[in-house]
Amino acid sequence: MMKYKLLLSFSFFWCFLLFAQSLKAQEIEILLKGGHVIDPKNEIDAPMDVAVSGNTILRVAEHIPEESARRVIDVTGLFVTPGLIDMHAHVFHGTQPGPYIANSFRSMPPDAFTFRTGVTTIVDAGSSGWRTFKQLKDQTIDHSRTRVLAFISIVGEGMQGYLHPQNLNDMDPVLTAYRINEYPDIIVGVKKHHYRGPDFTPVERAVEAGNLAGVPVMVDFGGHEPPLSLETLLMEKLRPGDILTHTYYSSPRRQGGVDENGQVRPFIFDAQERGIIFDIGHGAGGFQWPQAIPAMEQGFWPNVISTDLHNLSMNGGMKDMNNVMSKFLNIGMSLSDVVERTTWNPAQALQREDLGHLSEGAVADIAVFNMREGDFGFMDARRTAIRGTRKLETVLTLLDGDIMWDLNGIAAPMWGE
Amino acid sequence: MNRKLSRSGKTGVSDKALHGRPFFMTLFLMGMLTVQLSAQPYDLLIKGGHVIDPKNRINEPMDIAVNDGVVAKVSADIPATDAAKVVDATGHFVAPGFIDMHAHVFFGSTPRNFADGSYSVAPDNFSFRAGVTTVVDAGDSGWRNFPVFKEQVIDPSRTRVLVFLNIVGHGLRGDPYNNNFSDMDVEKTLSMIQQYPDIIVGSRIGHIRQNYWEPFEKAMEVAQLADMPMLLECNLPELELEKTLASMRPGDIFAHAHQTGRRSLMDDQQNRIYDFVNEAREKGIIFDVSHGGTSFRFSQAIAAIEQGFYPDTFGTDLHFNSRNSGMKNMLNVMSKFLNMGMSLEDVILRATWNAATALKREDLGHLSEGAVADIAVFKINHGNFGFVDVRGYRMDGDRKLVAELTLREGRIVWDLNGLAAPLWNE
Repeated sequence: MMKYKLLLSFSFFWCFLLFAQSLKAQEIEILLKGGHVIDPKNEIDAPMDVAVSGNTILRVAEHIPEESARRVIDVTGLFVTPGLIDMHAHVFHGTQPGPYIANSFRSMPPDAFTFRTGVTTIVDAGSSGWRTFKQLKDQTIDHSRTRVLAFISIVGEGMQGYLHPQNLNDMDPVLTAYRINEYPDIIVGVKKHHYRGPDFTPVERAVEAGNLAGVPVMVDFGGHEPPLSLETLLMEKLRPGDILTHTYYSSPRRQGGVDENGQVRPFIFDAQERGIIFDIGHGAGGFQWPQAIPAMEQGFWPNVISTDLHNLSMNGGMKDMNNVMSKFLNIGMSLSDVVERTTWNPAQALQREDLGHLSEGAVADIAVFNMREGDFGFMDARRTAIRGTRKLETVLTLLDGDIMWDLNGIAAPMWGE
Repeated sequence: MNRKLSRSGKTGVSDKALHGRPFFMTLFLMGMLTVQLSAQPYDLLIKGGHVIDPKNRINEPMDIAVNDGVVAKVSADIPATDAAKVVDATGHFVAPGFIDMHAHVFFGSTPRNFADGSYSVAPDNFSFRAGVTTVVDAGDSGWRNFPVFKEQVIDPSRTRVLVFLNIVGHGLRGDPYNNNFSDMDVEKTLSMIQQYPDIIVGSRIGHIRQNYWEPFEKAMEVAQLADMPMLLECNLPELELEKTLASMRPGDIFAHAHQTGRRSLMDDQQNRIYDFVNEAREKGIIFDVSHGGTSFRFSQAIAAIEQGFYPDTFGTDLHFNSRNSGMKNMLNVMSKFLNMGMSLEDVILRATWNAATALKREDLGHLSEGAVADIAVFKINHGNFGFVDVRGYRMDGDRKLVAELTLREGRIVWDLNGLAAPLWNE
């Protein structure tokens, strides 16, 4: 009997613990109070509070009471958005001598550039191929706090220099699709890059792999001898949902979207209409004011804003995600349009609709920005500048509900108190 | 410049001069003039800035001309026509490129490791955007893997990387390597130092968790033989602090000046700097901030400053863990001291000339004519800022340093707002 009583009281205690646990699960751990929320997916662009519980968004609403939260962070005067997605970067850092992009010093460790600019998800743009992807995963992805997704190159070796991508024998759609299916949570698409031949073969192979695996293709176009038609690529070769990167780039061997007279080529609008995604991919060469400014004026806007981060772009005109976003703020794009192109648009393009928004239950990846006013300058990849008056600054970044960046200690208690 | 020349050309050619010898004479003279004017003596002129160069005791508006990678002239008014490129630095401060005395930059692909590993960072990711042109690695490599470090990081980096060589042959490779006494070879360490005198600036000891003086003595022996400083890095907690400081020579460097616990330089209960610490300081031991992820507390730093104990240099202790927490970057560390009451000139002194002298690299850290043109052009932003220490506590401040333009050996390696860039449609 004694034993039975003990058992009974123990099970009561156990039920109480479970109950307490469930209460705790509903508790607001972090409340971002007083900010202006921009969440394009949910069409929110208004003063709102954001409550985080565990690693998810609990609620986005006006006036969530402070008493209900364990920790309140005052974000008055600041903008609160979903954590940014940088859809084009090179993060396959490593130690291969004579490096290009894959497993090299030219690629960047993600955490050095992400959280300080509000980025919570970074996408490697094909630095690895089906043969080298596992090394990217071992070396970078598994040891980064940043969420890392990846396009894999249609070239099995990935981006190993200028000769490898000429080798049509190393572009296997079936093996590429196998690798993608093996890591569906990480690999989001196929990349085609730096092929110089006079034909669309690598694009066709990439699209074939994309069809087999059900993922989009990202194309870095140009450099063909003789040049190939951009119109054919966009209107015939690529599928709706496929991505052209380095949108505002033009060279003798890569037709720009804006022609020599500063006019957007008509087929560009048709291509955007049929669902081609135009990605910025700023980089050290892929962004030119003479393309960007007329294009913006004539209504040819990018779908996605991204950095093409690597060690040649990081200290030049590109710098970081906030700098690239601020460029668009200063050439006629609204803040909510900029945020859409760095959150919900890339999430959709990557078929990762779990990311890029602040819906209840979504993962708590959140960025908080300050809009600085003043006299600023912004350089393109060729180091010519525009002047501007507004610049974004990342004040706070949350990944999975954890504070990963706090520029001014707004989440920190005062010392000596 | 060209416009000016053509204008003077017009007025110079008189009707009379168009006839006979005087005409050719004039042409000849004009030709000479053109050659002289078009061969502008300077590549780059930083004009209108406020120069702070503590070594040369300059703290006033000055122009700086750069040519062939070196500082060619520092003077109150250098004509804009003398340079191929002019940067208007009005409203900016101009200082020698900053020296980060303490960082971990043996970046590589070994997980969870400083030596050739992911705990270290690539120098160029953090340096130029913070006005830093020289970073000093705090012992990630030893004699065994220094050549790998050099090939993998030092050579391909644009930042100047100097190195304290770990007394442990494998460098900072974690346990059990760090505590392997048989891998502490004086001769081999010394020989590596002598092979690379332009890169290696001293020996380093740290991360030893045993109560033996042998590693310390070996690192010291190397430093003595090489006539270089020894860097004492964090955690020789088993050795008594007073004896440790007494065993160090003038010029040796003590890292993590504002730590608590067994390595604290002050009596934590009374917040009072120990007398023997002040004595060590007087003797000439260098105290470096080495902020990092665990070694900077406002409670310590502010109490120290109140007692007149200023750190000598501003090592960041940059690594995977400090970069995104309270430390952030060199300018954030410098801004902390600015807001704790240190004058701007004193802050710059610690980030430039103090570091250079501590490293016995007196070729660096100043803007003397003929010195390498490593230059930081920066601004002070005014506003409401917060700064966080390693415990997660905040101090508010109203000033923050921003790197606008950084030159490394005369080349522009960072230009935040396109200060040196032409407008796109001009």
